[in-house]
Amino acid sequence: MVLVSAARDYVNRMLQDISGMKVLILDSQTVSIVSVVYSQSELLQKEVFLVELVDSISKSKESMSHLKAVYFLRPTLENIQHLRRQLANPRFGESHLFFSNMLKDTQIHILADSDEQEVVQQVQEYYADFVAIDPYHFTLNIPSNHIYMLPAVVDPPGLQQFCDRIVDGISTVFLALKRRPVIRYQRTSDIAKRIAQETSKLMYQQESGLFDFRRTEISPLLLIVDRRDDPVTPLLNQWTYQAMVHELIGIHDNKVDLSSTGKLPKDQQEVVLSSEQDAFFKANMYENFGDIGMSIKRMVDDFQQVAKSNQNIQTIEDMAKFVDSYPEYRKMHGNVSKHVTLVTEMSKIVGERRLMLVSEREQDLACNGGQVAAFEAVTNLLNNESVSDIDRLHLVMLYALRYEKESPVQLMQLFNKLASQSPKYKPGLVQFLLKQAGVDKRTGDLYGNRDLLNIARNMARGLKNCSKSMADSSSSCDAVVIPQPQDVVIFIVGGTTYEESRSVALQNASNSGTRFILGGSVVLNSKRFLKDLEEAQRIAKSSTNVV
Amino acid sequence: MATRNRTLIFRKYRDALKSVRVPTSSSPSTSSVGGVGGGGGPVIELASTSLLHPNRKYAPISTEDPGNSSKGAFTVGLPPAWVDVSEEIAANVQRARMKMVELAKAHAKALMPSFGDGKEDQRTIEGLTQEITGLLRKSEKQLKRLAAAGPSEDSNVRKNVQRSLATDLQNLSMELRKKQSTYLKRLRQQKEGQDGDDLEMNLNGGRSIIDDDNLDDMVFNEHQMAKLKKSEAFTVEREREIQQVVESVNELAQIMKDLSVLVIDQGTIVDRIDYNIQNVATTVEEGLKQLQKAERTQKRGGMVMCATVLVIMCAVMLILLILKTILF
Repeated sequence: MVLVSAARDYVNRMLQDISGMKVLILDSQTVSIVSVVYSQSELLQKEVFLVELVDSISKSKESMSHLKAVYFLRPTLENIQHLRRQLANPRFGESHLFFSNMLKDTQIHILADSDEQEVVQQVQEYYADFVAIDPYHFTLNIPSNHIYMLPAVVDPPGLQQFCDRIVDGISTVFLALKRRPVIRYQRTSDIAKRIAQETSKLMYQQESGLFDFRRTEISPLLLIVDRRDDPVTPLLNQWTYQAMVHELIGIHDNKVDLSSTGKLPKDQQEVVLSSEQDAFFKANMYENFGDIGMSIKRMVDDFQQVAKSNQNIQTIEDMAKFVDSYPEYRKMHGNVSKHVTLVTEMSKIVGERRLMLVSEREQDLACNGGQVAAFEAVTNLLNNESVSDIDRLHLVMLYALRYEKESPVQLMQLFNKLASQSPKYKPGLVQFLLKQAGVDKRTGDLYGNRDLLNIARNMARGLKNCSKSMADSSSSCDAVVIPQPQDVVIFIVGGTTYEESRSVALQNASNSGTRFILGGSVVLNSKRFLKDLEEAQRIAKSSTNVV
Repeated sequence: MATRNRTLIFRKYRDALKSVRVPTSSSPSTSSVGGVGGGGGPVIELASTSLLHPNRKYAPISTEDPGNSSKGAFTVGLPPAWVDVSEEIAANVQRARMKMVELAKAHAKALMPSFGDGKEDQRTIEGLTQEITGLLRKSEKQLKRLAAAGPSEDSNVRKNVQRSLATDLQNLSMELRKKQSTYLKRLRQQKEGQDGDDLEMNLNGGRSIIDDDNLDDMVFNEHQMAKLKKSEAFTVEREREIQQVVESVNELAQIMKDLSVLVIDQGTIVDRIDYNIQNVATTVEEGLKQLQKAERTQKRGGMVMCATVLVIMCAVMLILLILKTILF
């Protein structure tokens, strides 16, 4: 509940002290931040009768002085410019400015300069700069995610922007929790090191007053890891509900867009999958596909019973009861159709792409041994006509990641076969992946123990890595055994997956005393991971051509 | 949960910058600003002193874009007319809520065993129920007036106000339904209790009939008549109550049907803020497209053509007439 309730508290506090009709003005990022934790009907209860984006609101000329403006924006250059224009020509009675991160003095100066009409009543920093999609899982929705795979010289300003966004996001998570963490990072990753250092500088030097919470309990732990240490998880097909929907269809900010999947009634074209609002989803989001089928069948049966009793209206009392229970009936109907549609769609995709077969091979590649058997299996599937191009690519990648060093000849054969069969395949993609995340680049035994939490625990115990805690400015590299922290925040540069958030949630539910929170720059599925790879490959190629 | 207040720093900067601005606006080099330059000093003072007033008048201190002259000075603090309607509805809802509390008390009182025949209680209950239903119906009708045409920002605000009030109304009517049904149920239980006694007496009467056939004929008839009258009275009253229930159910069903169109279903996509923003953008765009299309068709429209042709012909005829009179 931690992340969601923190974000909700911030929004509540923004709205509660301001009376009268309000308009809430957001930017494209804060829209996501607010939409996943607050609903439209709750806004209406707080008398917020209009929600606008800060860039589109500049175009309108209507003056609505009976509304009070509540701005919730990220303190970026564009937003400050938009605000300048709007404060110079105010359309609303009062303005209350809330920023999701720390403002620089120059920005406050600019705003004060443009507020000639003195409409601004307050300027506050409310640190909700992360998208809390699940109670223990947050993301930052960074569009240029691929940049983490490129060396710093390729695009220094882009990389700086990427790191800044991550540092902003992570620091607000800790401000929301009111803790200052001990920071650890994966030593083999330059970008993890950079982010760790910048975060540490922010929390312990630049804004140390803000972060000094004077808590006497054990500090929480911030672990910064690189996605490339485990490139296998995003490539695998998933079979638990939330992860599967994201892999096969795609979840964005807890919304699923079904409009591309054939004819659906208008109210089912886009649906919400949020564990906070949907009790059935909350109970089943981590269940296997087979079990979900059973649960949905049970839900449909219950619903049919209710529907039948609703049709059997004989007495006046029945009529009265029907009228009373109609809203709940409607809600149940909507929920049932939503889940049935989703599961139907996923079953269709599973059938079309022969995913059962493909996934079996994938799991074998990820877990069991035997290079020869694996090579044969992958070759067979490559020859199989009904397997889609994308799945073929996955299989070759998984094979390459595992058996990179054994039998390069066979590996080459697979590459050639893949290139010849899939016209859309960008040549060299698998090799690029190996360059990024090959055996040499990874720490630990990926195939022995792919459990994220084990890796995290190892890092927490300080058995291998340097301790970069800035509490004492010396960096000690010995095996310091630190007492078990109560809170551990794991940030994966490059993106998290729903499978990892599932392990985190299940671990937290088991009440082991340590609470884990997971965050990433995006939420990956195999499509997004491949897109990032392709984009990075393209840029790397073009930059080498230039140089 | 940490926050930081930057308002003080902001105000400090604002005041400092204001004092920097005042001397420059009254300097002669800015006289190109026009007549406003001379009045720059007092205007600023006005703005600062009336900071706390709800109705502030803003005079343009600079005329950066002359095209904006139509804006001029606008008064702050006068909401549009529909806000009054929404406030009225909100007041009605509040009144209905208070009456519901009274109704709950009246229900409790009526259900208590009393020595009177409870007709007065019945009447107050009926009166209150009717009042509340009336308020709800009136509010619902007024709610329809809040709807606006045209895709403007104002219409979005109105739609949202409508939705919020519709949710309140729906909750109230459901509460009223529940209270009514529990009350009726309990009332029926009580009545049935009384009926049960009568039934027993009936049975006894019946047994005595079997025993004494002829002698008790007259007595039996009297007994039966009394019984019949009593049960008739009960039936009549029962029917009246059922009639009432049917009426109120019908009314409330109607209200709820109208409201359910407006009320947002929680947990669905319509309840998402980002979905509503996207939709607003698309409806505004659509509206713009429609307007542009309408403009185009109007321009190309036959009416405009006809009108221009006629005007030209009139002008031509006029010229011919003038020429005729000149030449002759």
